[in-house]
Amino acid sequence: MNLGGWIFMILSWTGILSLIGFCLWRAHREPEDEL
Amino acid sequence: MLEKIARSATVVVSIPGDMKPTNHKRERWTSKAGIILAVAGSAVGLGNFLRFPTQAVQNGGGAFMIPYFISFLLLGIPLIWIEWAIGRYGGLFGHGSAPLILSRMWKNRTMKYFGTIGVFGPLIIVIYYLYIESWLLGYTFFSATGKLTSIDTQEGMLGFLRSYQGLGSENLFAYTYLFFVITFVLNFAIIYRGIRSGIEMLCKIAMPLLFFMAIVLAVRVFMLGTPDPALPDANISAGLGFLWNPDFAALLDAKVWIAAAGQMFFTLSVGIGVILTYASYLTHGDDIALSGLTAGSLNEGAEVILGGSIVIPAAVAFLGIAGAKAVAASGSFNIGFVTMPFVLGKIPAGALFSFLWFALLFLAGLTSSISLIQPAISFLSDELSVSRKKATLILAAVTFILCQAPIFFLGNGVMDELDFWAGTFFLVVFATLEVVVFAWVFGIEKAWEQIHHGAELRVPMFYKFIIKYITPTFLFLILGFWLWQHGIPTLMLKDVPKENIPYIIATRVGLLILFIIIALLVRHAYYRKYKRGETS
Repeated sequence: MNLGGWIFMILSWTGILSLIGFCLWRAHREPEDEL
Repeated sequence: MLEKIARSATVVVSIPGDMKPTNHKRERWTSKAGIILAVAGSAVGLGNFLRFPTQAVQNGGGAFMIPYFISFLLLGIPLIWIEWAIGRYGGLFGHGSAPLILSRMWKNRTMKYFGTIGVFGPLIIVIYYLYIESWLLGYTFFSATGKLTSIDTQEGMLGFLRSYQGLGSENLFAYTYLFFVITFVLNFAIIYRGIRSGIEMLCKIAMPLLFFMAIVLAVRVFMLGTPDPALPDANISAGLGFLWNPDFAALLDAKVWIAAAGQMFFTLSVGIGVILTYASYLTHGDDIALSGLTAGSLNEGAEVILGGSIVIPAAVAFLGIAGAKAVAASGSFNIGFVTMPFVLGKIPAGALFSFLWFALLFLAGLTSSISLIQPAISFLSDELSVSRKKATLILAAVTFILCQAPIFFLGNGVMDELDFWAGTFFLVVFATLEVVVFAWVFGIEKAWEQIHHGAELRVPMFYKFIIKYITPTFLFLILGFWLWQHGIPTLMLKDVPKENIPYIIATRVGLLILFIIIALLVRHAYYRKYKRGETS
C-alpha cells in the first residue's frame, strides 16, 4: 500500500471511530455537563 | 443507569398545537440502546461486507472515500434524521407505516397511495431476501461440517453454489428448502414475539456478536501476511493497497460520485420505510438526532473499517491483484459465496473461519430481514386493528406463498426483477418522496422542530439548508442518472434472454396485482380512520 493509501485508510478509520466515540460520549454524559 | 441519565438529559419541547396524541396503545422500545442496535441491525447487511469493498475497488480505491463521505454528510445523515422524525411523528398518532403517516403530513388524496410503497417495497424485498439469507444459514451449516472447505477450486465452489440453488449437477435442493423453512420460521417467530421481546432482544444479542465475529475475521485476515512465499506480491499490504490506494483521476468521473451516493443510500437502510416503522415505536420525548447519528455511524464502522478489512485483503493475499480484480469484476455476490469460502479453506482452521464468515453474514441478514417484515405487521395491526400475533400469522402465510417465486424461478431472472423494483427503483422514489414531503410540504420549520424535539444533540443550523435543498437535489440526480443508466434499459427488457421474458412479465403483473391489493387495503384503512375522525 502506498502513502496515499495509508493516509486515506487512517483518516477514514479515525473519522468514523471519532464519530462513534462522539455519539457514545454525548449519550453517556451527565446532565450537568449541559451547563 | 446510563439510560436514566441519557433520558434525563432530554431537552423537553412542548408538543405543537396541531398534534393530538392518540390513545391507541402501541408497543415501545425498552431502551435507547435497543432501537439504536435495531436500526443499526437493519442497516448492517450483506452490502457492508460485500458491496462496499467491491464498489471501492471499482471506483478509485481510497479516492472513492471522498465522494462517499460527502454523500454521508449530504445524503445519508439528513435521510436518517428525516426518516426517524417522520416515524416518531407518525407514532404519536398511532401510525407505524408510511401510507397514513405521509397522508397525515401531506393532506392530499393521492398521498396514501404513494405511501403504499413503504409497505409494498419492504414486503417485496423480504420475498427474495429471506431466500438469500437462508443460503447463508445453509453455508454456515456446510462450513461447520467441513464440506464447504473441502472444495479446493473456485470452479468447484461455483458448482456447489449452483447446486445449492438447484441449478447444478449435485442435488442439494432438499437442504436448500429445509434451510429456507428454518430461516423463514425463525424470522416470523421473532416478529411474533413483538418489538420488545422479539426484535429488540435479538438485536441486543446479535449486533455485539456480529461485531465480535467481524473483528475476529478482520484480525485473522490481517495476520495472513504473505501466505505463499512463492508469490511475494500477494500479501495483506497489497490487498489493503488494492482497496485504499487513491486514484484521483476517478474523481473526474461522474459515475464514481453516483456509485458513492448509491452505496451510501443502500447501506443506511433509508428510503425503504423500515426506519420509519422502527422510529414509530419511540415516545415523542425520545431523542432521534443523536440516536439516528449513532446508528448511522455504527453502520459506517461495520462497513468501512470491518467490511474493508476482510474480503478484498483476503482475496488479494491468496489470488494476487489480477485474481482479485477478476473476482471484484464478477460481482459482490460471487465474492461472498465463492471466493471467501475458497480463500478461508486455505488457512488453518478454515472450517471455523468459514463458519464465522457465514454466521456473521446470516446475523447481518437476519437483523435486516426482520426490519423489512415489520412495516407490514405495523400496517395490519395499527391501521386494520388486527392483533400482532394474528397479523404475523397472516403475513407469514402470504409471504411463504410469495417466496416460492424466487425459489423455483431463480434461473429465470425473477429475483433480479424483484430486486430491480423493490430494492432499487422504489427505494430511490420513496426516499425522494419522504424528503419532499418532510422538508417542503410539512415544512422545514416544523421539520426542524421535529428533529430537535427531545434531542440530545443540537443539529448544526446548516443542515436546515442541506435538508431543504441539497438532499432532494442529490436524490433527484441519483434518480435521473439511475433511470437513464439502468432503469429504462431494464424496463425495456434489454439484455433479458428471450426464454426469460414470460417470467419477467408474469413477475411484473404479479407485483402490480400485489400493489393494487395493498393500495386497496390502505384505502380501506384510511376511510375507516376517516370515519372515526382519526385522520385529520
